[in-house]
Amino acid sequence: METALTSHPFIELGIPVEIGRIDKELGKLWESSDDTKTRASLINLVVYTEDEAAMSADNEVLAAVAGRHPCRAILILGNPSAPGSEAKAWISAHCHLFGRDTLQTCSEQITFRLEGDAANALPNIVFSHLDSDLPLCLWWKADFPEPLDEKLWSWVDRLIFDSTSWQNPHHQFSIIRHISSSGKSGAVLCDLNWTRLHAWRFALASQFDNASAFPHLSSVESLSLRCAPCCRISALLLAGWLAGRLKWRLDIENETFISKSGQAIPFQIEEVLGPNLSLISIKCSEAQFQLELAEGSDFFQSTIQTPGIPEIRQILPAPRGRLEDTLLAELSRAGRHAFYTESLEVILPLLSR
Amino acid sequence: MPLDTLRSNPLREGLAQRSIPDPCTLVIFGATGDLTHRKLVPALYNLAADGALPPAISVVGFARRDKSDEVFRTELEEAARKFSRQAINDDLWKNFASTICYHRSEFDNLEGYRALARRLDDMDAARGTGGNRLFYLAAGPDQFEVILENLRKSGLNKAHPGAWSRIIVEKPFGTDLPSAKRLNDLVENAFDESETFRIDHYLGKETAQNIIVLRFANALFEAMWNSRYIDHVQITASEPLGVEGRAGYYEKSGALRDMVQNHLLQLLCLTAMEPPAGLDADSIRDEKVKVLRSLRPLTGSDVFKHVVRAQYGAGSINGKRVAAYRDELNVNPESVTETYVAMELNVDNWRWAGVPFFIRVGKRLPKAGTEIAVHFKSVPPVLFRATGESIDDNVLVIRIQPDEGISLRMSAKMPGSSLRIEPVKMDFHYGTSFGKATPEAYERLLLDAMSGDATLFARRDEVEQAWKFVDAIHEAWTTRTDDLALYSSGSWGPGEADELIKRHESTWRRL
Repeated sequence: METALTSHPFIELGIPVEIGRIDKELGKLWESSDDTKTRASLINLVVYTEDEAAMSADNEVLAAVAGRHPCRAILILGNPSAPGSEAKAWISAHCHLFGRDTLQTCSEQITFRLEGDAANALPNIVFSHLDSDLPLCLWWKADFPEPLDEKLWSWVDRLIFDSTSWQNPHHQFSIIRHISSSGKSGAVLCDLNWTRLHAWRFALASQFDNASAFPHLSSVESLSLRCAPCCRISALLLAGWLAGRLKWRLDIENETFISKSGQAIPFQIEEVLGPNLSLISIKCSEAQFQLELAEGSDFFQSTIQTPGIPEIRQILPAPRGRLEDTLLAELSRAGRHAFYTESLEVILPLLSR
Repeated sequence: MPLDTLRSNPLREGLAQRSIPDPCTLVIFGATGDLTHRKLVPALYNLAADGALPPAISVVGFARRDKSDEVFRTELEEAARKFSRQAINDDLWKNFASTICYHRSEFDNLEGYRALARRLDDMDAARGTGGNRLFYLAAGPDQFEVILENLRKSGLNKAHPGAWSRIIVEKPFGTDLPSAKRLNDLVENAFDESETFRIDHYLGKETAQNIIVLRFANALFEAMWNSRYIDHVQITASEPLGVEGRAGYYEKSGALRDMVQNHLLQLLCLTAMEPPAGLDADSIRDEKVKVLRSLRPLTGSDVFKHVVRAQYGAGSINGKRVAAYRDELNVNPESVTETYVAMELNVDNWRWAGVPFFIRVGKRLPKAGTEIAVHFKSVPPVLFRATGESIDDNVLVIRIQPDEGISLRMSAKMPGSSLRIEPVKMDFHYGTSFGKATPEAYERLLLDAMSGDATLFARRDEVEQAWKFVDAIHEAWTTRTDDLALYSSGSWGPGEADELIKRHESTWRRL
């Protein structure tokens, strides 16, 4: 259990400070504290956005994330097309109580507003305010710019983005493929859309751990998915993952998958209002597997129908809907996302249609 | 279907590096007891909430009292609402509860087991549990023999072709070496060692598992993990609770057999073992057994030199007066049962030559805590002698419970123009660093048993080797009683324990 505390006397973005004095002012922030606080940090979490209207919501997400995953948070509002050049900064702290103890753990946040030419100083702004030795997670909440500034991208450990927000996913994916291959070892690509699909993939995999279910993976006949109109890309990514894992290839002309044995596997995606993704149904020659998510529910209804065994119904945990939960799930992971790019490669031709 | 085929599920790849449980039926013997209500069912519910249970699972409670499935489920729901780590979701509980049923039988009634066998076959057909059975001995240890015998006679110990049958044995694994051997023989008579899972719940705790990671994934520590750099190790398990209604059991066991033989020696093994050849169950357990075999035996008069036993007297805990052990309900007023043990152990191998391991465990101590403290050697007092400053040694503390984490004490210069050196602490808390709840030990252990992973369970030779070591101490104690010290409840134990560690020019850590 944890209790969020309002860090007096900071409101919204915190205390305005001169950019050159940020470290000193942060030090003062801790010295002026009248009760016991522990500064904690596991990562540098940098958020870049160009949407001023979303700043307040972003700030709330960062506060919620800091409570569960202590970090040095840097929130940057960029407006590269503004005339002139102006850079402003604010500092604040997010403090939370943990457990029954009175131990307060606090994370620091620095907020920048970069206008016009100052927006080009983004790499310098980021690098000069990182906690040393801690990983750099960059959450890019805008379209990726071209040309890319290699100085910035080559130092990113985890690049977070959300492909459901893109107008032109085909183009954006081609940019991030380049980013992931640059730098020392290449940034880990963290698509929040893929993170939300984790619970779907996990539940689907669980269905086929069952000894009576496993053999039917080789006799899939068709695939149906249901998603909200905003989220066709989520349904495609899930289908792409299934196809990649089962070694199906895409027949772009007919918009079907082709199995290893050459069998056509038609898939259909139905768009209806409701959860981002609400259904996947896999029909096999002698069995059927279904995961369904009702609006507002925290659980999937899993159904397995196989011959000779009574229908198995199970409730399984579904993805949590709130953005901070998705981000926390992503930050709690380690290592690369196995099969994300594999799934993406499968569906990429469909994204340009 | 062979397990290897299941493991090759291509959809599972890359998702989670954790045990994948097989569809199965879990049969709990002693299902109306405390362990089932407080630990097992809440753990199963949490696994269900995390989506970690297999799609097809059944839970059968086996006990003597007469009750319906419905009443049993209702009782379990009440317990789960009280003891579960996660809040109970009504829909999920309803789904989970539908997998639970109750089987009434006396433990010594063979017909009850035969009826159970028929019922399990029916459930396999109805629920797709595939004939896999996991039996959990959660009844009193005096019932183990009759349960194991009847499992064998009814054929429940033998799995159907292509399926498995396993048993989880809850501690105590005997009360001494002969009884442990007898119990192990009984288990072995019905189940193969590879099908036997002896639970020591300390091994399921996150920090206990982290000892291996801390030691072998950090060059910083492993390079210094030997007699050249380490002065001594202290392993402490303290609790403010008294005997709490367990006098019947505790009078016979005492702290040595209740805690040292299993939990504390297991922690010592993880701390002292050599790097295993791999992370599989037997590689790790092989190394742990080597540590137990390397323990310098304590026998005869050596016991009184290196082991202190004591019993709590009256005192106060958290501001409240509490009674002496001998005044507790159902305790013999002249009892010589130890509620506190402190001992100096030596691991006679190259790595640990000359490094004592001090172990202490006790009831009615000021606070609850289990930890391993690795005390490093002092630096040569050359540089700072002139300043008159004393320098504290580095101490690495691995906190097992509560507030799981790791801290490192080191020396730092105090700000100012003069040279003043003070100890500072670098602290890592699981709760605040990773920000997610640590699973209960039983969740991990149940999942591992369903998956056939025995890494976190004690093997027969470990258990017997630990008993062999502890029995020698106990045997010496039977020759006299005048060494039993007394300590006030709420204190950190008897002065004799302080003297024990003082001989090494050290003191016990204050938790």
